[in-house]
Amino acid sequence: MSTLRAWLSDPNPASRRQARLGQAWLAWQRIRRNRLAMAGLVIVGILLLVAAFAPLIAPHDPLVQDLSRRLLPPGTPGNLLGTDDFGRDILSRIIYGARITLYIVALVAVTAPVIGLLIGTVAGYFGGWIDATLMRLTDIFLAFPRLILALALVAVLGPGIENAVLAIALTAWPPYARVARAETLTVRSSDYIAAIRLQGASAPRIIAGHVVPMCLPSVIIRVTLDMAGVILIAAGLGFLGLGVLPPTPEWGLMISSGRKYLFEQWWVATMPGLAIFIVSLGFNLLGDGLRDVLDPRSASR
Amino acid sequence: MALIEIENLSVTFRAKGQEVRAVRDVSLSVGAQESYGLVGESGSGKSTILRAICGMAPVTGGTIRIGGQPVPTPRGRAFSAQVQMVFQDPYASLHPRHTIDRTLSEPLAIHGIGDRDARVVQALTDVGLPPAFRFRYPHQLSGGQRQRVAIARALMLRPRILLLDEPTSALDASVQAEVLNLLNRLRAEQGLTFLMVSHDLAVIDHMCDRIMVLQHGRTVEEIAHADLAAARMTTAYARSLFEASADRMLDGPVEPAR
Repeated sequence: MSTLRAWLSDPNPASRRQARLGQAWLAWQRIRRNRLAMAGLVIVGILLLVAAFAPLIAPHDPLVQDLSRRLLPPGTPGNLLGTDDFGRDILSRIIYGARITLYIVALVAVTAPVIGLLIGTVAGYFGGWIDATLMRLTDIFLAFPRLILALALVAVLGPGIENAVLAIALTAWPPYARVARAETLTVRSSDYIAAIRLQGASAPRIIAGHVVPMCLPSVIIRVTLDMAGVILIAAGLGFLGLGVLPPTPEWGLMISSGRKYLFEQWWVATMPGLAIFIVSLGFNLLGDGLRDVLDPRSASR
Repeated sequence: MALIEIENLSVTFRAKGQEVRAVRDVSLSVGAQESYGLVGESGSGKSTILRAICGMAPVTGGTIRIGGQPVPTPRGRAFSAQVQMVFQDPYASLHPRHTIDRTLSEPLAIHGIGDRDARVVQALTDVGLPPAFRFRYPHQLSGGQRQRVAIARALMLRPRILLLDEPTSALDASVQAEVLNLLNRLRAEQGLTFLMVSHDLAVIDHMCDRIMVLQHGRTVEEIAHADLAAARMTTAYARSLFEASADRMLDGPVEPAR
């Protein structure tokens, strides 16, 4: 263990891999000192574990209905968080719902930031009419409220989890493009870009190898902070019946179905609501912590 | 034949309807393996001349020839292999998220040159850095070490011409001398041609065979090294620049401080 630590913190790394792992080790040291970020990381970690081992953890099948046991309150033996209007176990549904939430979050996280980063860096690097065209396009997308645009897209594409992801990704990229462009503008006139240009590097090489690494930290921070919003929009689409289709145990859908019983059987809507709240909080805390760790201004010190 | 020939070069920046004529009708020629200095106060257009050669400033008149050939626009890889530049601020000229290894091997990758490991290690040794620094990041190096890396990077493609844009003005005095001596050594070893910009006549005096004094984008005077040492200048402006740094020049060549 101590030799591993010495290897990681060696000021004179002997290989590319050691240098990279050493930097990751330093970042991990910084995030470990930040308690709130660690809390966020723990919540996200638990979400990952729950999603991975859902069949082992869940006490019941999330889809099996038992109308003789409908709307049981939390604490009932066998149904820790109670049952919903079809007698399905709410805890099991929340546990399986974690998979869907994570699926949506992961798909959005690998599409929207990539589109945004590409458009933002290309616009910022080239400037001129390319910049103007791409940024006006971004403005058009930004001019619509996100949920409304997602609603319109889902209405055209039809409800379903893939279409919900597509709609969210298509509405989520403009802020990343903005962030990436702003970062690119500060980077592109720097001496190290002038130097690599003078070495004869092509524009794609400069953008991918030199500009993107500088934009990545701000985009990653933005992504983790936005994850809460993505979960909420996915839940919102589910709530409106335009996202995931019943009987899939999606959290927003579960809140929607509990709405009818909100006053008498509050737990049906509250339990998935709490799940959304905790996971959103986890991503937000993690995002805040990552900002402290990855921010180029603090990392250079 | 002169290696660098510049004839009646003019550079004009346009911003918000205003025109700034940064360089006006400057002509100079630098022979192979010569070291040529451009001196002047800030805003005199000396750095702009270097940037114009590299295609980083808008040339509005005149011609630039390297080895008798007019430079192409955009400059292209053949130009990169001949002309390289060392920038003023070593804290800004190295990519903060790339290791020294990546910074030095990238030019080789761009030009499709093999045997990168050996050449990177050789380049580090040439500029007096231990090979153990190879996988460090720039923030783990001091200013002088960074400038050595920047010089190594400029030499990776084995260019004939090195443009030096105040290569030592961001460094403190003792490190300055070390870097200047390193540059002189490399010029002798690799047969380089220097075109160097500085506001400090003492630095130029230590480095250059011929000097051009610039003011407001115009040539004031061209002085040979012997005339500078003997304080034989014809214009009042060049003399005032000389007097401002004379006390340091009369100490003789800059010695590395210990």
